[in-house]
Amino acid sequence: MSRAINIGVWAGVFGVFIIVLFGGQSVLAAGLICGLLAGLLAGARTEGETMQAGVRDGLISGAVAGVILIVSNILRNTFITTLVGQNLPSTGEVLSFGIAGAAISMVLGAALGAAHFLPGRRSSYATWAILGLVILIYPFLDYSIQLGWLGIVITGLIFILLALGLNIVVGYAGLLDLGYAAFFAIGAYTAAFLSSSYIGDQLNFANPRVSFWLVIFIAAAMAGLFGLILGAPTLPLRGDYLAIVTLGFGEIVPIVFRNLDTFGITIFGHEFIKTFNLTGGELGISPIDPPKLPGLNFADRSDQRPWYFLLVLIILFSIFLINRLRGSRLGRAWMAMREDELAASSMGINIVRTKLLAFAMGASFSGFGGAYFGAFVGGAFPSSFDFSVSVIVLCMVILGGLGNIPGVIVGGLIIELSDRLFLPQITLLLQSIAQHNANNPSLSGLQRFDPTLYRTGLFGLVLVLMMQLRPEGLLPNARRKLELHADQASPGEAAQSQTDLYDVETEAASS
Amino acid sequence: MATNILEAQGIVKQFGGLTAVNNVDFVIPKGTICSLIGPNGAGKTTFFNMITGLYVPTSGSMIFDDQSIVGLKPDQVTARGVGRTFQNIRLFANMTALENVLVGQHARLKANLLGILLQTRAVKAEEERARLRAIELLEFVGLGRQRVDEMSKNLPYGDQRRLEIARALATNPKLLLLDEPTAGMNPHETDALTRLMRQIRDELGITVLLIEHDMKVVMGISEKVTVLDHGGKIAEGLPEVVRSNEQVIEAYLGKGAAAQGKGGGGVRKAVVQSAEGR
Amino acid sequence: MAQTVATPVVPVARRRNWSSIIVGLLLLLVFSPLIFSIATKIVHNPLLLLGQLKVGLVNGAIIAIIALGYTLVYGIIELINFAHGDVYMLGAFTTLILLSLLNIGTKTPWIIRGPVLLLILAIVMAVCGGINVGIERFAYRRLRNAPRLAPLIAAIGVSFVLQNVGLVLGGVPVFEGDYWALVALVAPVIVIALAMVLARRFAAGGERKMPVWGWLILIIVAASLAIAGFNLVHHGLQSAVPLTLGDNVMGETAPGPKNVPEVIASVSARPLLETPFRLTWKDLMVLVMCGILMSSLYLFVQRTKVGKAMRATAQDRDAARLMGINVDATIALAFLLGGALGGAAGMIVGMYSNSAVFVMGFTAGLRAFTSAVLGGIGNIAGSMLGGLLIGLISALSDQYIETRWTNAVVFGILVIILVFRPSGLLGEDVGQKA
Ligand SMILES: Nc1ncnc2c1ncn2[C@@H]1O[C@H](COP(=O)(O)OP(=O)(O)OP(=O)(O)O)[C@@H](O)[C@H]1O
Ligand SMILES: [Mg+2]
Repeated sequence: MSRAINIGVWAGVFGVFIIVLFGGQSVLAAGLICGLLAGLLAGARTEGETMQAGVRDGLISGAVAGVILIVSNILRNTFITTLVGQNLPSTGEVLSFGIAGAAISMVLGAALGAAHFLPGRRSSYATWAILGLVILIYPFLDYSIQLGWLGIVITGLIFILLALGLNIVVGYAGLLDLGYAAFFAIGAYTAAFLSSSYIGDQLNFANPRVSFWLVIFIAAAMAGLFGLILGAPTLPLRGDYLAIVTLGFGEIVPIVFRNLDTFGITIFGHEFIKTFNLTGGELGISPIDPPKLPGLNFADRSDQRPWYFLLVLIILFSIFLINRLRGSRLGRAWMAMREDELAASSMGINIVRTKLLAFAMGASFSGFGGAYFGAFVGGAFPSSFDFSVSVIVLCMVILGGLGNIPGVIVGGLIIELSDRLFLPQITLLLQSIAQHNANNPSLSGLQRFDPTLYRTGLFGLVLVLMMQLRPEGLLPNARRKLELHADQASPGEAAQSQTDLYDVETEAASS
Repeated sequence: MATNILEAQGIVKQFGGLTAVNNVDFVIPKGTICSLIGPNGAGKTTFFNMITGLYVPTSGSMIFDDQSIVGLKPDQVTARGVGRTFQNIRLFANMTALENVLVGQHARLKANLLGILLQTRAVKAEEERARLRAIELLEFVGLGRQRVDEMSKNLPYGDQRRLEIARALATNPKLLLLDEPTAGMNPHETDALTRLMRQIRDELGITVLLIEHDMKVVMGISEKVTVLDHGGKIAEGLPEVVRSNEQVIEAYLGKGAAAQGKGGGGVRKAVVQSAEGR
Repeated sequence: MAQTVATPVVPVARRRNWSSIIVGLLLLLVFSPLIFSIATKIVHNPLLLLGQLKVGLVNGAIIAIIALGYTLVYGIIELINFAHGDVYMLGAFTTLILLSLLNIGTKTPWIIRGPVLLLILAIVMAVCGGINVGIERFAYRRLRNAPRLAPLIAAIGVSFVLQNVGLVLGGVPVFEGDYWALVALVAPVIVIALAMVLARRFAAGGERKMPVWGWLILIIVAASLAIAGFNLVHHGLQSAVPLTLGDNVMGETAPGPKNVPEVIASVSARPLLETPFRLTWKDLMVLVMCGILMSSLYLFVQRTKVGKAMRATAQDRDAARLMGINVDATIALAFLLGGALGGAAGMIVGMYSNSAVFVMGFTAGLRAFTSAVLGGIGNIAGSMLGGLLIGLISALSDQYIETRWTNAVVFGILVIILVFRPSGLLGEDVGQKA
């Protein structure tokens, strides 16, 4: 009971955040999110074992959040809306939207609570059905209340796709890959070369345009191939060297794309390949063809719903595949390798090949995501693939919980939304406050305060704090939890790490 | 068909200036239980590591099942049929008991990436069989069904040792190397484990090579005992013969003791006495 | 233990690493036109090469100093201290800030300038050493026994935080206007953070958790603080003392200090040498300072008792502890020395180029790390050698390939070393720890 209230309060706080930042009818979206949180955290995890308890807790939790939403919606419209120069809605509007948001939150909370206690498999079906419904409804809601989040959500989902791939590498196989963005770039540029007119324009011929549906797979294969090329010589090395090599690779790939604007091969004064602009340099390559599918219009950038649904399908499919991998011979080999490389090799696991496979799988995911990203933003630009991309994706994996798919998704949403939605929105809010109060010297100074400048620092802080306080992530995978809390590990384990000295050294791997 | 499953000749292993194993000749007849004993630091584990490919011998030859295994990687050696346990337990701590044994079967399973992604019928069937076999093995070593889904690090110490044996058996070995399997066990557990080792040989037909400090175990089950000291082989033969070998007693107790036939200090004395007492 | 029995030592046929040989040949093949063209250029103008070698030596000396920081730390706790490059960057920032605050330049007579510069050096080294020790204490120490990934990830995090500090120090406009507006912004965040800390305390103190009403009160307080703050501002509480970080020091918009006066020699001053290559006073300053730093570190580690303790800890931490060495202090010392060296390198660069950017630590860090690996990470002499080599290579690549490709060249070298000789030039082959 008090747990339900507690969760309600937390969900409400999150809702307040959204309402304060966005105003308008965003309270509906806040209600949706609060409802999800209330239902999944309170309703579906209630201590009472009956459906009634589930409904009750979900409902209470949703209601608490709802009340907070209503109140904050009123406060926001009283104090802030005029300050930032938005139009002040009528009192009735403020109230009715607030109540609607609260209702969404309650209904969703109760429904999820109820679904959890259906007998047998029906429970998970029902939960997924509700989640599916929310996923389905969201873009339409976004459009009707002009929230304008969809583009950002799509980018966020692309990053989640990347994070799912990186999770294979870091979470399952325990390899630290710091150059993940490189494969992302390779994917995007593959798409750019194959499905734009760029190469043909440069070399004066009409190049065939490969369809998006083929290109995403070619891009994945290309990225995987580069993963193999980079991984084959470096994966036998110890883990932190791999981190550095991948870091370097991640640095170099954008440099290469940037610098290949004068590409040509001249030997002994003989031009084998005439110098031309291969990659478009800093300006990159655009436009990339959007996918074509009868009945759907991907080319209309003002309506991104087809992109959204396509991506949701891709992600669901990826999760499906990853789950298969995880429970298979390969997935077990990855985890065994992460746990104890030496014992794993003594159990017949070919370490190099297994690592290489994980690394290449991760790379293909990234390449796939890159191609999608290229098509979505309509171009490939070297500046969108720098080190911070790799770190953001790593942050997502770590924040949510290494090796755990729901964790990765939640972590990804939190990071992407804060990075691309909330931080810029705070900046925007401050700037509009400054603009609309230009004659107030103390407020106009806000214009120079730009929170987005602190994003690197914030990410860094997230990484440091997570490692210190909660290395297992927000939604820990039960297994990793103990493993990463080394200081609390069982005495047997601690003893083992000290007596390992001789068994540990292996020459076979280095020879 | 050779009668020896393993034939090692002139094995030397140096770590920098230290010679950990010095020119050791060693054979294991098929279908036997052999023991490798010697004081701490004698080079026993190093020898194991050379058989399993973790270390490459500085020189010498090693023939397993009629083929040289020198220079092979650990996984290749395992694939040829050598299974092992570790002196300090090295289970996959955050995987369940069942998963640990399934990992042991890795080399015996065939599922590849494509098959797994498509979940072909063959892959599903193979997985099902692997699971059954894993449970069978767990039961064989005496870990009941209820322990199957326990995280291996949460198992009691004795069960961890058993699980390691089950995992090694899952690799389907012809030769099983056990590095101090009874270390840290009480006499009751030790007896059970001794029985298990016999069962492994008698019922599964697997040759066993054992490193052991507990002389009671060694003398009780081995058909052949090899004694290492300072990296060199100092005695070999039937347990009774080795037990009364002067050099062995000297290695365990120090020089003076051998001459007097008794004396020497605490623990080691007890070890040898228990060995002689049988 | 001598080998008593005379045995014919049959060398075991080592498995050749064919893949690396093939990769090597391929690389050679791919780059042969490049190598050829470089060779022609060098033959055409050998003097240019000499000048470029000097540039390489100067840069290399600085890189070597930074590389030492990586090596010292890695040698002891096997952690790639990712943040080290950024400590160096902060060293450069601190130097430039101090220089412009103290307002000394080439006009100041040497009798004042010299001691002041030494003082600045001492301050910068202390600051950077302190930062590094602080990082170790707060970000790494708890993770010493954690899986390898954890401290590495923490190190990346620290690096990002420091970069952001550099960005802010570099004169990015922080805030201008009323303190109250800032208070209103920050207060709720602080209140909530405080609440979280309190909740943890509650949870830690007993079975009780922070009660819900506690949260409610806190949230109400936070919300009202926020609203009150905005309103105060809104109604024009005019206490306005604008809060800006040193505009005059850093310049308005550039992400780094600029317009800092020269301190070693004015631009117009005659160089030491014109032919056969140009050698300026600044070059000399770099070489002398780096030489002193390197040799004193070497002597410190090799000759002093503390240095021996460091080496012992690097060999075997547990054994060192048993021998009565205070391992925590020794590790902290390694960080202190590394940070101080990084700071000194920052100062040298700051005085050399009169500018600093927040990203300079990242690039320099990558290069320095490469040098440390090239020389054999953990090996002090190796890092010095590696640094010089990388400096030379990048100077040559700047001249004969193209500046924009130099990072790629350095990275290529890193991969090549790791593949062919992971233990580095001077490192001993320690095999691999799983
Ligand atoms: N990787 C290594 N590097 C250096 N020395 C090693 C290495 N492995 C083993 N040694 C040394 O080789 C010698 C033999 O060690 P080994 O572990 O084989 O002894 P052991 O007979 O198994 O002893 P115990 O009964 O204590 O297990 C020891 O002196 C040890 O220090
Ligand atoms: Mg041993």
